[in-house]
This record gives sequence, structure tokens and C-alpha cells, in this order.
Amino acid sequence: MATPASRATAATAPPPASTLLEVRDLRVEFHTRDGVAKAVNGVDYAVAAGETLAVLGESGSGKSVTAQAVMGILDVPPGRITSGEILFRGQDLLKLKEEERRKIRGADMAMIFQDALSSLNPVLSVGDQLGEMFVVHRGMSRKDARAKAVELMDRVRIPAARERVTQYPHQFSGGMRQRIMIAMAMALEPSLIIADEPTTALDVTVQAQVMDLLAELQRELHMGLILITHDLGVVADVADRIAVMYAGRIVETAPVHEIYRAPAHPYTKGLLESIPRLDQKGQDLFAIKGLPPNLMDIPPGCAFNPRCPMAQDVCRIEDPPLFHVTYEGLTAERRSACHFWKETLRG
Amino acid sequence: MPEPHEPAEGAVAGTGMGGAMDLAASEATTLAAGEAGAGPGAGPGGGPRGGPSAPARSLWSDAWRDLRRNPVFLVSGLIILFLVLISLWPSAITSGDPLDCDLANAQKGSSPGHPFGFNGQGCDVYTRTVYGARASVTVGVCATLGVAVLGSVLGGLAGFFGGVWDAILSRITDVFFAIPVVLGGLVLLSVVTSNTVWPVIGFMVLLGWPQISRIARGSVITAKQHDYVQAARALGASNARMLLRHIAPNAVAPVIVVATIALGTYIALEATLSYLGVGLKPPTVSWGIDISAASQYIRNAPHMLLWPAGALAVTVLAFIMLGDAVRDALDPKLR
Ligand SMILES: Nc1ncnc2c1ncn2[C@@H]1O[C@H](COP(=O)(O)OP(=O)(O)O)[C@@H](O)[C@H]1O
Ligand SMILES: [Mg+2]
Repeated sequence: MATPASRATAATAPPPASTLLEVRDLRVEFHTRDGVAKAVNGVDYAVAAGETLAVLGESGSGKSVTAQAVMGILDVPPGRITSGEILFRGQDLLKLKEEERRKIRGADMAMIFQDALSSLNPVLSVGDQLGEMFVVHRGMSRKDARAKAVELMDRVRIPAARERVTQYPHQFSGGMRQRIMIAMAMALEPSLIIADEPTTALDVTVQAQVMDLLAELQRELHMGLILITHDLGVVADVADRIAVMYAGRIVETAPVHEIYRAPAHPYTKGLLESIPRLDQKGQDLFAIKGLPPNLMDIPPGCAFNPRCPMAQDVCRIEDPPLFHVTYEGLTAERRSACHFWKETLRG
Repeated sequence: MPEPHEPAEGAVAGTGMGGAMDLAASEATTLAAGEAGAGPGAGPGGGPRGGPSAPARSLWSDAWRDLRRNPVFLVSGLIILFLVLISLWPSAITSGDPLDCDLANAQKGSSPGHPFGFNGQGCDVYTRTVYGARASVTVGVCATLGVAVLGSVLGGLAGFFGGVWDAILSRITDVFFAIPVVLGGLVLLSVVTSNTVWPVIGFMVLLGWPQISRIARGSVITAKQHDYVQAARALGASNARMLLRHIAPNAVAPVIVVATIALGTYIALEATLSYLGVGLKPPTVSWGIDISAASQYIRNAPHMLLWPAGALAVTVLAFIMLGDAVRDALDPKLR
């Protein structure tokens, strides 16, 4: 089904008008006692308003670090952004002053973290923390902010919001706490939300509810959503596009249904085959063999080559650019950083 | 659409947590419901500190509950309360004047109206011991406040911002730690002519802040790594807000513990410096001065030494005990 593709490298063309966020060739290093860890090595991705981009990849692949760089909350030092652009509504955030960036955080882009219990301050009531959004960014009085907090808690469907607004994080269940985090992130109706594994710490029974709430609010407010996860199962229902990360790079990006139908990178293929399926009970799960590379010593060529069942000599020498993937019937942009994407696509 | 009650989740959370947590949660739910009954207007006033909506088991309320039951805290607290009161109003328990001395009474033992006898200058030892508390408490409290404020600010900022300032501060504290306190006092204070308490307090703050700054730096670095500080930052909190609202309340406990214990040692240091003649100077009344004066008569008139020395020992011990009790109350929750 694949037709000959253009061998274009990473995009430098201007983004489409609706593009909300575009990350270009982002590189982040961590200078530690043991050496320099290259956590992010030229990430490119884009999110449009109202779009959900799922960022997938094994743990340690640089998903969170990329998100922290976008939000401007990277630990500096030891972290350091060595190159790249982060264009938010066309403006390069890396060129802004810290105070200007701070005003964008929370108001125009917000982040939801994995563990809501540790992401909420244990000594402040949830009402105070929700209200803080309005105090910090809108200069509201504490009384008005409290009323807003109740409104938000209602909106994320916390029962008895008016009574519970004075309670503390530990008095809520895990799912409720994550709803509160979502409420905080949504408080000022930002145009971009980054959710870093928002349901990983939750009970399976609650995961779907929290995910549904997030997706619903996203649709209502027409926000761009970057959903970081290492769970391909969660992604299928909510995401529009998928970006797969490996060793600090995007190795494949595609519309969600296309990627499920036929992955164009052996790593994506491995990930897809690792999803537990009901009809596979008892069988061994295919897990990608080997370990993710040491970020202080990434192998030359394609970083995935030591683990790749399709690796050839070229893979050990030449680092593949993000090729444009094209075939009959594909309308949206699709890319793969594999020398053998055509072969992979054929399966 | 999720059900508003999330029955499954509630059940799981209930079995997952310990019984104590459940109890606390339901307790707090009752409290919160009670407050809600008072009307929505009562809402914004009830902050985290005090009020009916205080958390059932926040760090501070928990610590306070532990403290109230700790006999060490009760005893040391009463002693300190008494000391503070007599240093504010010494005339409440003595009608004498510590500077009203009559050499004719020198070294006399206990007599009616003069239970502790007289010292080498013929001053009433009871009155002087009572008045001596003021100097000790003033020096101890002021030096501790100065040290705590300076040390917390410098250490806290260094811990928060890290980098070059942190490195510079670490080297400076190293230098200060290398200075022997008594020798430093002998050198620095011997050139001072003022007979107020301020040079002594200033000296203690100068040499004491590095200790607190190390503690504050460490606990700010720990608190800074909490996810909720990152989360606050991700939602647009400024540095000042993160420090004051999210980090300080969670980093201040170790500083309080160390400062309380240090208070006792500052009182002892004041006495030491005064004994050596470089601390407080007459006519200021100080246990250290009296101990120094009495030491030459120790064979003939031990009472002159006994009372101020005893008062000093009890005071220092009380503050160290208080610090220990506070640490015990705060420690388990700091981990
Ligand atoms: N604060 C830090 N200090 C040093 N190294 C870090 C730090 N944060 C992240 N890293 C490095 O970046 C790598 C990628 O981390 P991360 O983005 O969190 O992965 P994930 O894809 O699981 O979110 C980590 O494996 C680690 O080597
Ligand atoms: Mg992560």
C-alpha cells in the first residue's frame, strides 16, 4: 500500500494557521555527576487548537522533560536546553523573559501531573489551591476566588463541592484528587493542556472516568491537549494524533487510526504488540527485547538499532531523519524515523 | 459520563487506606459539614490555620496534640513561661533592687527577707538572680530571632536558587564554622565598650546564622523537590509565592527545632562570655557576671555561686528540653 515517499527531513515549513504549539528540534541535556545525559535530542511536534496529541514511549524516553521544557519548568541546572524553538501561537517561548513565561503558565498553558496526591500541597485546603489560580493570575479577592473554586469543583463533578472546598487533599480519593488537579489546570481556560500520565497513578476503575472528564473538558473548551502516556490502550479513544518517542526523539508521528492500522516504525510496532489483548490470554506478550539506551551514550546511527529486528548496516551508521510517509488514502501528515519505514508499513 | 458518586472508587479508597485515615476523614467530613451549616458566608474566612476547618491531621495540629501530652514539653514550657514572666516583671516576685548593695552585708548567708543571702558586694542574691533572668532571656531570644531570620533567609534563598550563590554561601558558612566561638568572642567583644546587651547579641547572630542557614538550605532543597512545588510553578506561581506559600510552611519545622535548642546554648554562651569579662558588663545584671564574681569565694560562700549557676542550668536545660520535645513532635511527620 505504500507508495514512494519524499525523503524530506524535519519540517521547516511554516505551521498551518491553527497550530497552537510547535516544538522544533528541541534538545535538552542534564549535566550530572556521572556525565551528560542527552534526554531530548531534537524533538519536533505540533498541536493544533482542539487537537489531542498523544506522546508515547517507554519511561525515560524524554516525554516529561520535553513537557517541562514547553512549560518552562525544567530544573536548570542540571537541565539545559541546548537548541530548538518552542513556538506557542507563533511566538518562541524560549526567547521570552521568565516573568513573561510565568504569566503564560497557568493562564494560557497548564499541566496536569501523574500523582495528584503529591501534586497538591498537603497543608492547604483544596479550595485555597484552586482559588490561588484566580488570586495569582486575576488578582481576585480570596472570597471571590473561593466561590470560583466551588464552581470549578462542581464542573469536574466533585459531589458536595460547597462542603468539601475547605477540605485537604488527603481527605479525597485518588480520582477526586486528580479531578481537582484537572480543575486547577482548567481554571483559567488555557488553550493548551499537557497531561503527564494523568491516570497512571489511579485505580483502573477510575482511569476511564478521569480520562473521559479530561476529554470532555478539552472538547468543550476547544483546547490543545498533549497527553503523555506509556499506555497505548488509553490513547485509541481520545487522541487525534500520536507521537512516539524513543531516546529523546520522535520516531513516528501519525493520525491515531493510521498508526493502529499499520505502524511505520519497528519501535511503534513493538509497542503495539505489547498491549495485552483479551484474545491473547496465556500467551507471552511480545516485549521489545533489550533495554532503552543509556542517555549518556546513545548508540550511533538509529538509537533503536540494537533492539530492532529489522536493523541493517545503514541503521548502525546513519541516523534516519523523520521521513515523510505517504501512501494512497493518507490525507494527514505522517512521519517515521526509520530507514525501512516502507518495509515496516507492509508488515 | 462519570457517575457523580463514583461508587467503585470510594470503595477501593476505603479499603486501601488505614483505619486511622478513614476515621480522620470522616471526622473532618463531619467538621466540614458542620461548618457548611453555618452558611456559605463562613467559607473564605476559614484558612488552614485554626478555625473549624483546620485539617484533622495536618503537621502542626498533629504536633501540637503530641506536645500537649508530652510531660517534657509541659515541664519545660512552664519553666520558660515563668522565666519570661519574671524577666518582664521581676518586681512581681521581689521588692528589692539588684543594684542596692551594702558592703556590710557582703557574703552573708540566708536571713529573713533575704532567702539566698548576699553576694561579695553585699547585694541580695535572690533579687539579683531574679533580675538576671531578664538579661539571659533577652540575649537568648534576640540572638535566636536574629540567627533564625538571617539564617533562614540566606539559607532558604541559597537552597531555592542554588547555583553560584549557593556555592558562595556554603564557603562562607565553612569559614564561620571554623571560628572557635569563645576565642572569637574574646577577640571581637574585648574591643566593645558599650554596656548594653546588643554587642553580645550581634556577636551571637554573626557566629550563629551559618548553623541555621545550613538547616534551612537543606530543608528548602527537600521541600522544593515536592511535586506540588513543581505543580504550583507549572500553574504560574511566582518564586516568591512558591517560597512563601508552598515551601516555607513545609520547611520551617527543622529550623524551629534547631533554633529552640540553640536558644539554650546562647544563654549559656552569654554567661560564658560574661564570666570571661567580654559579655555583659555591670550595671547590667547577669547570671554570668554573678557567677564570675562568686567564683573566687566558692570555698567560703558557695551560696553566691549556687543560685545564679542553678538558675542558669535550669534555664538552659528547659530550652534544650523544649527543643527536644518539639523535635519529637514534628519529626515523624517530616519523613
Ligand atoms: N532532574 C533531572 N536530573 C537529571 N536527569 C534527568 C532529570 N530529569 C530527567 N532526567 C533524565 O532525562 C531522562 C528522560 O526523563 P523523562 O522525560 O522523565 O522520561 P519519561 O519519558 O519517562 O517521562 C531520564 O531518564 C533522566 O536520565
Ligand atoms: Mg515521565
